[in-house]
Amino acid sequence: MAKIVVIGAGFAGQTAALYLGDKLGKKHEITVISNRDVFGYVPSWVWVGVGHMKPENTVFKLKPVLERKHVKFVHAAAKKIHPDVGDQYVIGEEIGTGKEVRLDYDYLVIAPGPLLNFAGTPGLGPDGGFTHSICSLPHAVKTRDAYLSLCERMKKGEQVKIVVGTGHPGATCQGAAFEYIVNIHKDLVKKGLRNKADILWLSNEPALGDFGVNGVQIKRNGIVQKSDEFIKSVFNDHGIRYQVQTGVTKVEEGKIYWQNYEGEEGVTEFDFAMLIPQFKGQPFQYIGKDGSDISSKMVNPAGFVLVDGKYGLAYPELAQTPEAWPAHYNNPNYPNVFAAGIAFAPPGPISKPFTNKNNLLIAPAPPRTGMVSGMIGRVVAMNIADLIEKGTMTHSERMTEMVAACIASMGDNLWDGNAVTIVMRPVVPDRKKYQNEYGRDLFVSHLEMGLSGAWMKFMLHHTFLWKFKGNFGWKLIPE
Amino acid sequence: MQQEFSKSEKFWMNFKLYQLWRFIVLNIKIYTVAVQSKWK
Repeated sequence: MAKIVVIGAGFAGQTAALYLGDKLGKKHEITVISNRDVFGYVPSWVWVGVGHMKPENTVFKLKPVLERKHVKFVHAAAKKIHPDVGDQYVIGEEIGTGKEVRLDYDYLVIAPGPLLNFAGTPGLGPDGGFTHSICSLPHAVKTRDAYLSLCERMKKGEQVKIVVGTGHPGATCQGAAFEYIVNIHKDLVKKGLRNKADILWLSNEPALGDFGVNGVQIKRNGIVQKSDEFIKSVFNDHGIRYQVQTGVTKVEEGKIYWQNYEGEEGVTEFDFAMLIPQFKGQPFQYIGKDGSDISSKMVNPAGFVLVDGKYGLAYPELAQTPEAWPAHYNNPNYPNVFAAGIAFAPPGPISKPFTNKNNLLIAPAPPRTGMVSGMIGRVVAMNIADLIEKGTMTHSERMTEMVAACIASMGDNLWDGNAVTIVMRPVVPDRKKYQNEYGRDLFVSHLEMGLSGAWMKFMLHHTFLWKFKGNFGWKLIPE
Repeated sequence: MQQEFSKSEKFWMNFKLYQLWRFIVLNIKIYTVAVQSKWK
């Protein structure tokens, strides 16, 4: 009987756990260890952050769901990983009691989600800082409260400045921030307060609509349309100001300090700001048989797990090397250790990085949340099942092959809501397969705005919660 | 270069019957490409 441990139960971890339970649960021992006892549907936290959805509607208890799928659940924070052959185990700290938990494994899936590195930007974040975040549920609730009290100030006639975007030169997840800013716009319009707010998009993207994936390009009526023009139209239409190519370096009360591509330093004042922090890998200790620190064999300096990608290529070479992106997501030194979702180390950025004259690197990190996370979780689970049953892996999916769909809602109303629907294939351009300057399948890639997107977003919320609960037909729903 | 949505574009974005059609088309499109990944 093989023992499989999954660290984390987000999009990647929960997907992996469901597939592992389904394929192996009756014959092998599968354990999920997570510091949270609930699954959180992250995409809907945007709605929590503007007070349009109750937090409890975005979560469900993990234990009963996993046990139904023959997967054990341990409510503990993983701390140490011992990956050396013959003595492979994870040490965790039980939540509530602080008791040490030891979980032996034959296969390990590391999928704990990101460490929100607010410390990477002085003054950033809701805990001891001056900005807000929607990257965790407690943060989204805090953001909602701050936003609603801001609305009260506006109702009294106060003019306010709202800034939404990225809070670090290397931040990712611009899509979530974009969805939040347009939701704020829509909500203020509905409240009759839009004229009381000056809204600014402040981001590290090289261009509007880049989203850390080098933008989205589509072909419509024979003409190539790009996301920068499209998002510019959205912002112009909504009266949202924008400033890209900007890395936030410091935040003080009511003041955001930044540098741009030209090396200019500036200050933007704000009354309310939601800025996405830099993501890092979780700070696990990786310990060898002799007790030594073996982190360098497991993770990169940012704490992301090294997998079967080709690391160290300069951006121009990486952009022409689709096979540099990992296919199986296991560590070359410890092949039975897999990483899924944000936890794996990408070989480099997707968008073109830029270093300004002050030596500040402004480069959005590759987004690997949502659909990408789920797909990697499935590939990893299927390969572990393969290794146990057949002795060889038969599944692979590079980000240069993956399709991703993203719905950025603008309000949650099914009658007058709106949303931008984005489909791209592949997520990371493959200039060898797709012979155009963008490296994308321009037939499949799609960019559209309309009420139908709002319906899609609503549908996805319910469909994915259904899927992640492992309810009837869950496998029919794509990741 | 497009800088703002035209009146016609805005009309179609909110025209319910057309949006119902787009909803069906988008669902089929996304499902079709996403489900291909399942066999990899």
